[in-house]
Amino acid sequence: MTAVVETEGLTKFYGARRGLEDLTLEIRPGEVFGYLGPNGAGKTTTIRLLLDVIRPTSGRATVFGADTRDPRVRARIGYLPGELALEGRERARDYLQFLADVRGGVSRGRIDDLAERLDADLSVRMGELSKGNKQKVGLIQAFMHEPDLLILDEPTGGLDPLVQQEFLAMVREARTAGRTILMSSHVLAEVEHVADRVGIVRAGRLVAVEDIAALRERAVRHVELHFDAPVPAESFQGLPGVRDVVVQGASLRCTIDGRPDALIKAAARYTVVHLVSAEPDLEEIFLTYYSEEEGRHAHAGA
Amino acid sequence: MPTLVRKSLGEYRRALIGWTVGLCAFLTMYISIYAGFMDDPETFSAQAVAKYPGAFRDLMGGMSDIATGRGYLQAVAYQLLGPLLFTMCAAILGNRAIAGPEENKTLELTLTLPIDRRRLLLERWAALALGLLIVALVTLAVATVAASAADMNVPFGKILAAHTGLFLLVLFFGTLTLCVGAASGRRQVALAVTGVWGVAGYIVETMGRNVDAISWLRWISPSHYYLDGRPLYEGWPYGDYLVLLGATAVLLMTALLAFERRDVGV
Repeated sequence: MTAVVETEGLTKFYGARRGLEDLTLEIRPGEVFGYLGPNGAGKTTTIRLLLDVIRPTSGRATVFGADTRDPRVRARIGYLPGELALEGRERARDYLQFLADVRGGVSRGRIDDLAERLDADLSVRMGELSKGNKQKVGLIQAFMHEPDLLILDEPTGGLDPLVQQEFLAMVREARTAGRTILMSSHVLAEVEHVADRVGIVRAGRLVAVEDIAALRERAVRHVELHFDAPVPAESFQGLPGVRDVVVQGASLRCTIDGRPDALIKAAARYTVVHLVSAEPDLEEIFLTYYSEEEGRHAHAGA
Repeated sequence: MPTLVRKSLGEYRRALIGWTVGLCAFLTMYISIYAGFMDDPETFSAQAVAKYPGAFRDLMGGMSDIATGRGYLQAVAYQLLGPLLFTMCAAILGNRAIAGPEENKTLELTLTLPIDRRRLLLERWAALALGLLIVALVTLAVATVAASAADMNVPFGKILAAHTGLFLLVLFFGTLTLCVGAASGRRQVALAVTGVWGVAGYIVETMGRNVDAISWLRWISPSHYYLDGRPLYEGWPYGDYLVLLGATAVLLMTALLAFERRDVGV
């Protein structure tokens, strides 16, 4: 299947300042792609390039196989800007209707359904919307025409936790319906529950693309086992992926990298009365990633 | 009507109503006091006018026959103040097409609609032209009625010719503001260019016409093509009006090309 978004050596300089350099990325149909990085790393630059708001210095990008210059591509995209500006005396509902008309119409009642789900008041004038309500109007306009690709730049900013849950539900529904989603954030926690893959961008460069599932598998986990009788430490030495083994009488503490399989099989020879395994903190893994990458770059540069 | 033209006109509505009311009030007031001057022929007698400094008379278009209905109408409505006010209206609206929305960041979402940039700009311009046309038509009606109520004895055909010139002049300046705004994305730059070109052009055309050192510059003054043919006296200066229209078309093309290749909102 062809990629929904494909970039090759995509580079954008604002004068001498680097916005994004040499981005080669593929987003597959039907996946939720989390695009992570600190503020100013190049997330919004990438998104604006995909939407043809700005033009690349070099490299190319296609969406649904077509050049981003082709305006017809944008009919299939729903976009939530990172800095959503809504101004003027127009009422939110009228503005949404205008956007719907230009995009070729939305099904009847769709706007009201979404407004109800997100608890948004659409009778307010745009210039008078609160920050949270602005974000809701932004989400409604991004989702209302049921686009094949959703590009959401920092979507949860300004939303209260309940609405955030509703938003994540909308993202999951969109994925179930086979749509593709590109979602940027500066924190992993915001995307890790919905994303299939994540890409990390730093200082204008993509430093890693990872499967969330693989990342979980690779995660470092602290495990504690309690047995009904003291166990010999030798039984747990040299197991693949198991390190820092400490046996104290009937209890064992260790760290596992990746799968816990070898440890479980070794422990199965004894009677296990209690097992504690902490949920891996993906944020921590990412930070490790960052520092490793940086270390490598620094090394290469030296 | 295309969605975007309708939408833009809706955005301009309040400004259009405001400027129309203001311009009409200005025209009615100034034209209606003509009768008062005529009751007191001393005010605008040749000797009285001769007391004004020459430069001021030049600036007001000569004032040689200000005691007649035609001369008065030209001096107060069509010479300086009318075009000045109407041009300000055009520049403000011209800025609301691209530069304004770009500066307040609402343009980004509009750009991501499935409309190509050329159509976006053309439809915004069409809304500007339509809006200015509405103001021009209403003010034309008001000027005609007020002039006949004040017994100015200026035939409608001549008022129409002058008013058309006024419309073409402000359309040029509105398009200029839109063009600079579309190319630079900055309202202040667009206003500055329009203001400087407008004022300098007017001065060159009026006070500079007898100054050899700058009179050759008149050909780049938009006011030249509006004032030089004296439409209120001579009727339609077709050639001059075509120049204004042509220049507007060139500006529009420039705006299309510049906007097409630019990064927006950075």
